[in-house]
Amino acid sequence: MNLKLDYVLRETASNFRRNITLTLATIITVTISLTLLGAALLFGDAVDNATVRWKDGVEFIVFTEPEISPELEADIRRHLEDSPEVSGFTYIDKDEAYAEVQDLLGDSPELVEVITPERLPASFRVKPSDTLPERVDELAAAFRAQPGVARVVTASETIRAIEDLSSGLRQRVIIIAIVLLVAAAVLILNTIRMALFSRRRDIEVMKLVGATNWFIRVPFMFEGLVQGLIGGVIAFPLIWLTNNFFSVINDDVTLELLRGFTVDPSRVWTLGFQMVGLGAIVGTVGSGIAVTRFLDT
Amino acid sequence: MIRMENVTKVYKGEVLALQNASCEVQRGEFVFLVGPSGSGKSTFMRLLNKEEKPDRGRVFVAGRDIGKLPSWKVPFLRRNIGCVFQDFKLLPNKTVVQNVAFALEVIGSPRSVIKSKVPAILELVGLSKKMHNYPDELSGGEQQRVSIARAFVNRPLILLADEPTGNLDPNTSLGIMTLLDRINRTGTTVVMATHDRSIVDKMRRRVVELDRGQIVRDQSRGVYE
Repeated sequence: MNLKLDYVLRETASNFRRNITLTLATIITVTISLTLLGAALLFGDAVDNATVRWKDGVEFIVFTEPEISPELEADIRRHLEDSPEVSGFTYIDKDEAYAEVQDLLGDSPELVEVITPERLPASFRVKPSDTLPERVDELAAAFRAQPGVARVVTASETIRAIEDLSSGLRQRVIIIAIVLLVAAAVLILNTIRMALFSRRRDIEVMKLVGATNWFIRVPFMFEGLVQGLIGGVIAFPLIWLTNNFFSVINDDVTLELLRGFTVDPSRVWTLGFQMVGLGAIVGTVGSGIAVTRFLDT
Repeated sequence: MIRMENVTKVYKGEVLALQNASCEVQRGEFVFLVGPSGSGKSTFMRLLNKEEKPDRGRVFVAGRDIGKLPSWKVPFLRRNIGCVFQDFKLLPNKTVVQNVAFALEVIGSPRSVIKSKVPAILELVGLSKKMHNYPDELSGGEQQRVSIARAFVNRPLILLADEPTGNLDPNTSLGIMTLLDRINRTGTTVVMATHDRSIVDKMRRRVVELDRGQIVRDQSRGVYE
């Protein structure tokens, strides 16, 4: 094909200058789409982190004393098995609790280091047969009095609401993501097509003197790539801001049960880079398609 | 160099542009295509660089059936066919030298080749002094010279000229014809569609006359009618 870098750069630069408003419109669209998508995915992660303990109908958790004797633990287990209001329970031992913490804080090794399995309490995650809040509270109170129990934590209505949200959230996030991305791609496609329309004479001449389709296409694809990249790079700090908003929620003492509603910083970095990459792909592919349609007609 | 065999081209199923046309042009010939508007002259030319496909019949360029040419090879066919138009088709935001260099750039010629070929061809068409002017700073005749330089800079086998003097006054037209004649003398086959009676009569070259899509006359050293 014999494409020259200086030719591609020169063409891209002149396209940028000539269609500055269209270029800005595209970059802004990409930025907004990627920011919303990134924020939605982060929110999904945060909800997951906050509600990981409250999956599958678990309504309250009985934490045992760290130094509990096997007999007392067996008593609690028997109490749970015998009680008709309990439809099921899962026992999480110290090692499992530790594994879960590792999962949550996996990207902050310095935090994981200070936690050892011995320091974590074992727990029972209890599914009551009746999930009415008052009945759950009564049941939880009965266990709170049990010897060997350190504390009992119930799922508050807030958590319950968030959990309900979380069950459908993944799907919804994916749908929103697809819609936003398609919107961004269509806009890039449209921008490039308008840019092409203003340059149809150039393209006519290029075809006339025997330029190959790829030769015509590559500068436009490069332009789309640059637009997507810029959009992604601007979206990056905006996604960080979203994450800061989460820590504001987290610092609010009244929302104690939302503790864990946070996303690890390295996850934000990864997501940010993914969004930049996605912007680049959407930009390149979108403009490639736009040019192809122009070349065929 | 060019051979058409029983070529028929119909636009949108009803407009008959060419009807069972057969014609052969030898290497190095100079051929005038004459005939009223809509007689099929432009279609004749567009079939040669595969801007259009014939509905029936076959078109050969340089011994190859271009109907069998895969679409990705069409650009390479076009590199052997220079095109000149009535409206010049120059890029207004590029200077003379950039317009001509563009034709070499987009086929991937090395910069050293562009540097040597472009000034040489501008010298040939007599525009060395206006290299850095923009098209709208040139007269019609000068613009057509740039367009011819662009079509010929790559030394194509064939030069197609669709009414190249259509927008020019008689004197300027003669200058353009002298240039096309010089290009023809280098061995390039030239096919020129025209309405310009005086030019055809003066040049006394082969004349192919089209009427409603049919070749009605093919005369060597002919006149307009």
